[in-house]
Amino acid sequence: MYFLEGPPRFLFFTGKGGVGKTSLSCAAAVHLAEQGRRVLLVSTDPASNVGQVFGQTIGHTVTPISGVQGLDALEIDPQAAAEVYRQRIVGPVRGVLPEGVVAGIEEQLSGACTTEIAAFDEFTALLTDSALTGRYQHIIFDTAPTGHTIRLLQLPGAWSGFLEAGKGDASCLGPLAGLAKQRTQYKAAVEALADPLLTRLVLVARAQRAALREVARTQEELAAIGFTQQYLVINGVLPPAEAARDPLAGAVFQREQAALDAIPEGLKARPCDHIELKPFNLMGLDTLRQMLTDAPSTLEVSPDSPVALDAPRLADLVDDIAADGCGLVMLMGKGGVGKTTLAAAIAMELARRGLPVHLTTSDPAAHLTDTLDASLECLTVSRIDPQVETARYRQHVLETKGKPLDAQGRALLDEDLQSPCTEEIAVFQAFSRVIREAGQKFVVMDTAPTGHTLLLLDATGAYHREVARRMGNTDMSFTTPMMQLQDPKRTKVLIVTLAETTPVLEAAHLQADLRRAGIEPWAWIINTSVAAASVRSPLLRQRAASELQEIQAVAHHHANRYAVVPLLKEEPIGAERLHALIYPRT
Amino acid sequence: MKTIQVYDPALCCGTGVCGVEVDQALVSFAADVEWAKGNGARIERFNLAQQPLAFADNARVREFLEHSGQEALPLILVDGAVALAGRYPRRAELARWAGIAQPVAEDKPSGCCSGGRCG
Repeated sequence: MYFLEGPPRFLFFTGKGGVGKTSLSCAAAVHLAEQGRRVLLVSTDPASNVGQVFGQTIGHTVTPISGVQGLDALEIDPQAAAEVYRQRIVGPVRGVLPEGVVAGIEEQLSGACTTEIAAFDEFTALLTDSALTGRYQHIIFDTAPTGHTIRLLQLPGAWSGFLEAGKGDASCLGPLAGLAKQRTQYKAAVEALADPLLTRLVLVARAQRAALREVARTQEELAAIGFTQQYLVINGVLPPAEAARDPLAGAVFQREQAALDAIPEGLKARPCDHIELKPFNLMGLDTLRQMLTDAPSTLEVSPDSPVALDAPRLADLVDDIAADGCGLVMLMGKGGVGKTTLAAAIAMELARRGLPVHLTTSDPAAHLTDTLDASLECLTVSRIDPQVETARYRQHVLETKGKPLDAQGRALLDEDLQSPCTEEIAVFQAFSRVIREAGQKFVVMDTAPTGHTLLLLDATGAYHREVARRMGNTDMSFTTPMMQLQDPKRTKVLIVTLAETTPVLEAAHLQADLRRAGIEPWAWIINTSVAAASVRSPLLRQRAASELQEIQAVAHHHANRYAVVPLLKEEPIGAERLHALIYPRT
Repeated sequence: MKTIQVYDPALCCGTGVCGVEVDQALVSFAADVEWAKGNGARIERFNLAQQPLAFADNARVREFLEHSGQEALPLILVDGAVALAGRYPRRAELARWAGIAQPVAEDKPSGCCSGGRCG
C-alpha cells in the first residue's frame, strides 16, 4: 500500500461519508502500531464509529485500544466542542444579563460556523500541542466528509490572513474574537498542514465517475492551498472474479473499471491504491488486519439465499406528490447519495404526467446536465451555481453598499465579503428567488450537501426574524421562505440516503437539524440499493443482507414514509433510465 | 483624548454583510470607525454575541439592557457616559467626541436618506 509507505507524522483521511474512511484509518492505525510505532487515532467525524469498530468505548479522552500495543484513540464531537465554546461565552453572563438577551446570544452561536470553528480549535491543539501529542510518532485523523474537511482545512489560511491583517473587531469568521489569543497556535497548525514532511492527505473514494470527479476537485482545491502530499485510495472495488457470477455484478464491475480508466487527469499523478470489496463487515481487529491485504479472506461468510425485500417504490411517492398539483419538492442529503439524479427522475416523471415542473439544482458537482439529455414540454431546468452566485453577490454589495465608502472603508467591506458565510448567503438568495414559483407549479430542487443546506436554513431563519422585525412583528400577513419550508402543504422535504451505516446516521442528523428548524421531512429515499435488486453474486448478496438492517432502521425508526430505489445495471443517464428509477423492472 | 465605546447588538460581523439584506448604516459606520481610528480616535467595539461579558461588566450598559432591551442597541459611551443610543453616530459626531479637528467632508445627508432607501 503506497499510502502507508514512509508515512509522515500526520495522516489525514478525507472523503464522503460511507466510503470507508473510518475502516481505513483504523486499519492504518493498527498496521503502524503493529510495526512498533506509537500511534494516536483521532476521529473528527460527527458520526464517528471508531469505538464500534474496536468494540470499546472511546469518547473525548485519549483511550488505549486493547489488543494493540502502542495504539490510542480519541473521538472529537464537533457539536459537543461547539457547546463547550458556547458555554464559555454565555456561562459568565447567565443570570447577569436579562434572560432574553442571553437566549439571543446563544442562538447567534448556534450556527454551523460556530461548530466548525470550535471543532477546528480542538484540531489545532492536536497539531501543535506537543505536551499532548509529543509521545506519538503518527497521528491519524479520520476526518469529516469532504465538503466539511475542505472548509476545515481552508479556514486556517483564511484566519491567519485575517489575524495578520489585524483589522480587529469582528468578522464573519465569528467566534474568532474569543480565539484570537492563540494566533500563534493557528499559524503553527497551518504550517504543519502545509508541510509535506509532516502531513500526508489520503483521499478516499469509490470507483464511481461522479465520486472520482469530486475527489479530483477536492484534490485541486487542497493543492491550491498548499497541501501537496496527496495519496488516493479507491475503496471497495469489486473483484474481477465476482463479475462472472451474475449480470448486475458484471455491470457494476464494468462500470467501476470504466470509471477507473477515465480517472480525472489531476488524480493520475497521485500514488493510488485499490482495495477490494471484502466479504465481511469491518468490525474488530481481525477484519482490520485483513483489510489491507489482497490475500484471500479467511473470514468468508456469504449468505447463499437471495435477500427478500418488500419495500415501497419511488413511484408510490411520486403518486402522492403529483396529487397535490403544485409545491416545492426538496431533496436533501450528503453529496454523492444521488440527489441530483433522483430530483431529475422525479421532475421528469411529474412532467411526463403533464404537470408543470421547474427543476433546479445548486449541487456544486453540477452533473445535472449529464443526467438530463432529453427535454419535456412541461419541464424547465435551471441551475444555481454557488460560485457564480457568490461572485454576483459580492459585486452587488460592493457596487451598492460600498459606493459611498472611502477606499479604507471599501477595503474593510471587501475583506468581510471574503468570509465563508458569503457563499451561503449568496446561494440562499438565489434559492429564495426560485421557491416563490412553487405556488403555481412544482419546483423540484436538489440542494447542496448538508453543511451548505443547514447554513441555508440558518440564513432562512435570520431572514424570517429580519422580516418579522421590519414588519413590526405582530402581524403575520407575510410569507417568508422559512414559513414556506415549514408548511407541509407547500413543501415536501425528501431525505436521500444509502443503505449503509454512516449515510443513514448522517441522514438522521440532517433530519434532527431540520426538525429543530421546524421542518418535518416528508419522506426518505434509500438510493442505489443492492437489496432492492436481484443478485446472485455472493459478495453482492452479502452487501444486500447488511443493507436490510439499515432499511429496517429507516422504515421503523427514521422515516414517516420511504421508498427504496434499486442499483441499476447502467448509470441513470437520460430519460429512459431515469424512468427506470421510478418504475424498476424486476 | 476621550474613549468611545460602542456596544453593538448581536452581529455576526462588524459590517453586517452576513445579514440577508446588508444594513447600510452598519457598513457606513464600520468605515467611519476606521476613518476615526486613522485620525487617532480611541474607539472600542463590543459585539453582544461574542463579548457579552463586556456588557455584563459595565453597570451602565447592564442597566440599559435591563430597561430598554437588546432591541435598543447600539449604545455609545464617551468616557463612560451615555452619548447616544438606538442608532450609530455619524462621522461628524465621532469626530466631535474624539476631538478630531480635520473637516468632515461628504457627510451631510442629501435628500431624505443617504443610502437611497427611502421606501
